[in-house]
Amino acid sequence: MTHPIIRFDHATFGFPGIVALEDISLTIPESEFVGVIGPNGSGKTTLCRAVLGLMAPLSGTLRVLDCACEELRCHHRALIGYLPQKGMIDRNFPVTVLEAAMMGRYGALGLFRRPSQKDRDIARAALAQVGMDHHRDSALGALSGGQQQRVFIARALAQQPRILLLDEPTTGLDLTAQHSVVELIQQLHQELKLTVLMITHDINMIRSRVDRLVLLKTKLFAQGPPQEVLKPDILSQVYGKELVITDKDFVLVEDYHHH
Amino acid sequence: MVRARDAVDSVIARTHSQITRSPHTIMLELLAYDFMQRSLLAAALVGAVCSVIGVFVVLRGLAFAGAGTAHAAFAGVTLAYLLGFPPLSLAIVFGLATVWITGWVEEKGRMKLDVSIGILYTATMALAILFLGLMKTYNPEVYGYLFGSVLSVTTEELMTIGGLSVVVLGTILLLSKELYFIAFDQEMAAASGVPARQIFYLLLTLVALTVVIALKTVGAILVFAMILIPASTAYQLTHSLTQMTLYSMLIGIFCAVSGVLLSYAFDLPSGPSIVLLATGLFFLAVCCSPKRLHRIQPT
Repeated sequence: MTHPIIRFDHATFGFPGIVALEDISLTIPESEFVGVIGPNGSGKTTLCRAVLGLMAPLSGTLRVLDCACEELRCHHRALIGYLPQKGMIDRNFPVTVLEAAMMGRYGALGLFRRPSQKDRDIARAALAQVGMDHHRDSALGALSGGQQQRVFIARALAQQPRILLLDEPTTGLDLTAQHSVVELIQQLHQELKLTVLMITHDINMIRSRVDRLVLLKTKLFAQGPPQEVLKPDILSQVYGKELVITDKDFVLVEDYHHH
Repeated sequence: MVRARDAVDSVIARTHSQITRSPHTIMLELLAYDFMQRSLLAAALVGAVCSVIGVFVVLRGLAFAGAGTAHAAFAGVTLAYLLGFPPLSLAIVFGLATVWITGWVEEKGRMKLDVSIGILYTATMALAILFLGLMKTYNPEVYGYLFGSVLSVTTEELMTIGGLSVVVLGTILLLSKELYFIAFDQEMAAASGVPARQIFYLLLTLVALTVVIALKTVGAILVFAMILIPASTAYQLTHSLTQMTLYSMLIGIFCAVSGVLLSYAFDLPSGPSIVLLATGLFFLAVCCSPKRLHRIQPT
């Protein structure tokens, strides 16, 4: 087994009076592609924020990049490329595609240092990797949702990260764009040997692409290769009536509550 | 202060008598006066600082926070006059306290930002009115901070404005990439290794300092317009962060300097002249915005 890059050890996370994730023990080795699934409120985004060092465990430990998560400093975070849930982007926000990708360099550069030509080259290379370099002078707001997600992935890649953390990267995209984005993520994982942690509701989209699935429902309900986790008895315990299995190869999760 | 006002009255009187002279001649004569040189320099500095910080205020969605800070700073001025302190000292204290409390409330997510600012806005304004009431006598200098009196800026005040402007613009120059990033997405910035929380509080601090810088020039009521309007005008004109900052600064300086000259030429109050000129440019930019006229369809 390769060196673990993320290690939860009986870690519990939450807020005063609220437990969002309880007693999680999970080890993710370097270069693994892990999908995180679970219904709404199961703690997926909490897991994401914890890995980013934005939440400290109430009990237990979490080590990321050989560092306790509560001690993650800015230079550690700069090694975690993060794609947050797709928010509402102001279409008039004055930022070009290249400027948005360049932001990925800011954490690694540190305070007071101006981006150099090398940083611009790294940002442009990241844009080229996601097929968006020819749009570098376009306004970000002028792009489609799928293209914007590609730019944000490029921004994360411009950090030259060791971990790529993706929080529902396909939400709000049409089916073609969803496939395109997930294929891109898989391709980047393979080419760059990145550790990828991808939170998603779309089981169908990632089941054949990830090395391992983690199923959350406040606790770590199941983990393992997709074929071991995606069993009707396991899924029905977590999703209940929200789950509809149409045939052996196709699983649908109704997503009425998801926004 | 009194000497400066006498000079203003004298110039205005002369202007009326010289109405037939060419604008060029009048302008040259005008620039020969020390008070006018100070006024134009103060206006240019205020225009530059307000419009540059305004870019981050507009993009980060802190518009109402700036308005609250301006009124809090005025409460500080009134208390300073009541206690015999230098007016700008307590303006800074009140302004900083307001923006920091506002930032803390937003960070903790305890209530919506506009609600907490609304409470602080009205509370500090109530304090200002209370302090004014306690003064018993009418003090025209205090009202100068409420409505602005750029033509009466003293050399000492100009030096304070200049010093604070260097601090604010220098800080923005040094940390512009971090400020842009938190304006774009603060959580993404934090997750990317930028000390976003500290930068956010720094931004709030710069807003408070900017309000204090501009308080004497355009007044507590109108200072926020100088922060908001040039940046909002530039926002209409470009898709680039760098260009928006540059355009905003140029618009801010142009409006501030032109407003002072207009106020002199037509015997108008300076603060409203600056702000109304900026407002006119804003609506012109909205009508002619390339973003609206040539909206690119998503590909």
